[in-house]
This record gives sequence, structure tokens and C-alpha cells, in this order.
Amino acid sequence: MKTNAHPAFSHPLPSDGRGTNEPIITFDDLAIGYDGRAVLSGISVAISRSSFTAILGANGSGKSTLLKTLLGLQPPVAGQIEINVPLNAPLIFGYVPQTTELDPLYPLTGFDVALMGTYGRVGPWRFPPHNEREFVHDCLRATAADGFAQQKFSRLSGGQKQRILIARALATRPDVLVLDEPTAGVDAAAARALLEFISQIHAERKLTILLVTHDLSLVRQHAQQIIWLHQGRILHGTVAELFTPERMAEIFEMEVG
Amino acid sequence: MESLRQILSPNFLLRNSVYTSVLIGFACPLVGVFLVLRRLIFMGVALPQISSTGVAAALSLPLWLGLDLSGHDSQITHVLAFAGSIMFTLIAILALAFLERRGRGQPEGRLGTAYVVAAALSILLLSKNRYAELGWLDLMKGEIITVSNFDLALTAIALAVVLVVLGLFHKELMLVSFDRTLAVTLRKNVVFWDALTYLLIGFTVSMAVLSVGPLISFGFLLVPTLTAHLFARTMRQFTVFASLIGGVASFIGFWIAYQWDLPVGPTDAVLLGILYGLGFVVKTIAPLRGSSSPDQTTPDGRSQTG
Repeated sequence: MKTNAHPAFSHPLPSDGRGTNEPIITFDDLAIGYDGRAVLSGISVAISRSSFTAILGANGSGKSTLLKTLLGLQPPVAGQIEINVPLNAPLIFGYVPQTTELDPLYPLTGFDVALMGTYGRVGPWRFPPHNEREFVHDCLRATAADGFAQQKFSRLSGGQKQRILIARALATRPDVLVLDEPTAGVDAAAARALLEFISQIHAERKLTILLVTHDLSLVRQHAQQIIWLHQGRILHGTVAELFTPERMAEIFEMEVG
Repeated sequence: MESLRQILSPNFLLRNSVYTSVLIGFACPLVGVFLVLRRLIFMGVALPQISSTGVAAALSLPLWLGLDLSGHDSQITHVLAFAGSIMFTLIAILALAFLERRGRGQPEGRLGTAYVVAAALSILLLSKNRYAELGWLDLMKGEIITVSNFDLALTAIALAVVLVVLGLFHKELMLVSFDRTLAVTLRKNVVFWDALTYLLIGFTVSMAVLSVGPLISFGFLLVPTLTAHLFARTMRQFTVFASLIGGVASFIGFWIAYQWDLPVGPTDAVLLGILYGLGFVVKTIAPLRGSSSPDQTTPDGRSQTG
């Protein structure tokens, strides 16, 4: 599966020469939760620019809450999230939701859905201009979704929907690509292909990628950093650091316990 | 055909009623689209009822204040009814939307309770007010025989405003309805766009209830929209089909009612129901050409495909 490189996707590194180890997002003693009650606290993790980070954890471990807090959907209970972008520009998230979050009742084509990625740049009472529509076509070609983009979104397969949603995320011209359980509801072969594809986008465009999943085996070949949420604890490290027999035994012992 | 020729004549005595009916028929489905897509069909039932309770309260107001409006111009009554209708509708829709956002309790339970309480309150309000009750009963029956030029102008201006706002901000209203998380990440003010959506719905419902009554308003809000949803493949088709079905059905309904001396509102509602039934049968037994399988996504359930 190949992606088509396009100059519009090139992700410029900061002009001050900061390298890819420079943190783009820093959770500083963050506590997350609902209605002022923390479900997870003491989160102090830095996400490096252009890194591929997987957020792992079982259901109810706080993955979605962490994601919602990062995206600004709910405020942190305590602590803060520091954003490090040039010229204090706002950080743009290319968000890829779970396909089940989008109501199939809407009669939208794949292209209509992908076009929404440009709405952040197109103000009220304006239609997306020709160059933005062309850019969306480029994004659809890059994710190999142009072949089915004119079909009704609700009728596409899980894998096809994910490609449309990744194209939509790319159409936002993101600093960080955030994927929420992209392999949920996708069969094993398609899930592997999708992860390879995301990995390829990461390699080609030097995008910072944050991927939320509970599938350990899928991400270990692709992710560079792991944030593992488990029973109120945070484990953070590289794949090599976390996926040692000793650490795995410790983690699974905690799981059983 | 003679009756059709009469209706189309510019000198037709009831031409204002025809124009109002058709305007409501075209406009209601445009906001009904958002009720259906946001799965707020029950709100489409409850809101017109709450709106008519507002009319009942407004018509009772002079009695409570010891005023006698029986000899005054009907415009005062109309303005009073409009104020009551829009006030009740907007308060109700914003309160229901707020509770919907908080995500607690059962939305259907809230809307059902609102519907029952509003209907009962209307009866209680009017039980001691003979003058107001007569006006309200006409409204409930969907009598749209006597529409003044003032009423027609008010309806046309209000619906034109709704149409313009929907056209200008369709992109934002659709984005916030379809994927509010994306809207937040794109730094859209989702509370503002939500509020605007509900204000448009409330405003249109108020105008429709004043013109054709709660029952018919509900019919025009939802049934053309549900019929169009059976066949639409894109949002543009969905919106245009729904509006056309509503507008054309209102005209044909008026024609049938005039021809056979029936009340216009109920005739419209039954006609819309028949169209929806026919559409459902056609969709079920003869899927559109080019479709590999019938679309199984309905407002009542999730897609079976994908």
C-alpha cells in the first residue's frame, strides 16, 4: 500500500532548528477526569515532535479521557498541557475518530466528509474554494480513498471509512495526527494494513502521531513511544524499554492482580 | 380542474391561505432536516405543542390583566400569539437542548413529559377563557382559511430570514451536528452554532404553529424529511427533496381540501403520510438503480452496512 507524496503535506520543522526530539506536547502533572473528580493523575509525559506515540490501556483506563482533555473537549482536573509550536500559533490536531462515533444517518459522501477538514480555514458564509477542494482530492489520493470518495460514507467498509477520515485529518493541515482506536471494527488483515499505512504517512510526512488503542501486538512494530495507562498508573517509555520480558511480566501481573 | 384553475387565479379569495400553506410546506422541512439528523424527532412533536401552549397563554393574558380585546384589531391578537408562541418555544428548546448536552436522564422521557404537560396546560389555561379557546381551537384544527396580508407578510419575512441564515451557515451547522469533536478541534464555537440551530428550529416552529397549528407543523417538519431521506444520496438532495415534497404536498393538499370541502391542515397531514408510505414501499420493493444494496440506515436505527 503506497501513499502519494504531495508537496502540500510537507510538514516544516521549526525554523529555529529544533530537532525532532523537541517536545511538541507536554503533560505537566496532569490530572484528568469528570466533574472535578480525577480518574488519572500525576501524568507527566512529553510527546516529541514527529514521533509516533501509542496510548495503550484497557477499557476504562482513561485513554478516551486523556484524548478528550488533549483535544480541549473537557478541562483538566489539575495540571496543564503545554504546547510548543513556533510563533505561538495554535496547534492543529488532525483528529480521526472511531467510525462508530459518526452517525450513519447523514447522507454524506466520502468527499463531503473529507471536505470538513478544510472548514477550519474557510470562514462562515463561504463555500470551500476551488483550491481547498483540490487539496481534499489530493488528500483522498494520498490515502488511496479517491476511488470510493463519491460513495455514501455510511455504506463504506470500516477500513474505507478510516481512510476517508485520515484524508479529512490530513486536510486540516495538522501538526499532530490523533487517531482514536483506528482498528476498532476492522478485521485483522485490514487492521495490519491500516497500521502500516499510518506508519508510512508518519515516515513520509514527519507528522507527530498519537494513536489510541488497546491492541498491544499491532502497535509494537510501529510506535516509537508508548504511554501505558493502567489502574491509575502511567508507564511511559520507548518500545524497547517497555517491551522487555521483565516489564511485560510486571504489567501483566498488575493486570491479573 | 376548475377548482385548480380557481386556486391559481390571482383573484382567488383564499390566495393568502394558499401562499402561507405553501411557504410553511417549503420551509418547515429545511429545519426538520436537522431534527431528523440529530435524532430529535420527538422534539419535533413536543415543540409545536409547547408553541401552541405559548399561544394559549398569550391569548389568556388579556383576561388575567382584566383587558377586553374582543373589539380590537386581529393584528393585536396575532402579535400577542406570536410573542407567546416564540417565547415558549425558545425557552423550551434551549432548556431541552441544554439537558440533551448534559446527557443525563432519558431524552424521550423528557420530551414525552414536556408534550403531555404542554397539552394539559393549554387546556387548563383556556378552560376559563371562552374567547381565547375559540381562537386556539381553530389553530389546533389547522384552519388556515383566514390569513390577512399582514399575517402572510410576517410569515414570508420570517421564513426568508430562516432560509438566508440556513444558506449562509449551512457548513457550520452541519459540521457541529455531524461531528462536534472535529468542530472543537477546528476551534469552532460549538455552543454558538448549536444555539443558532435551535433558534432557527424554534423560530420556524413558532411561525408554522401560528399559521397552520401544531399538528400540521409537526407533519411538515418531519414527514417530508423522512420521505426525502429514503431516496437522498447527498445532503443537497436531502434538503431539496424534503423542501419540494413539503411545498408540493401543501399545495396539492390545499387543492384536495378545496375540491372536497375538507379542513386543509388534516388533509395535508394525511397526504404527507400517504406519500411517506408510498415512498417506503417504492424504496423497499424497487431499490434505486446503481445501489448495490438498499440503504438500511434509518432515523430509527443504525446502519447495517459498513
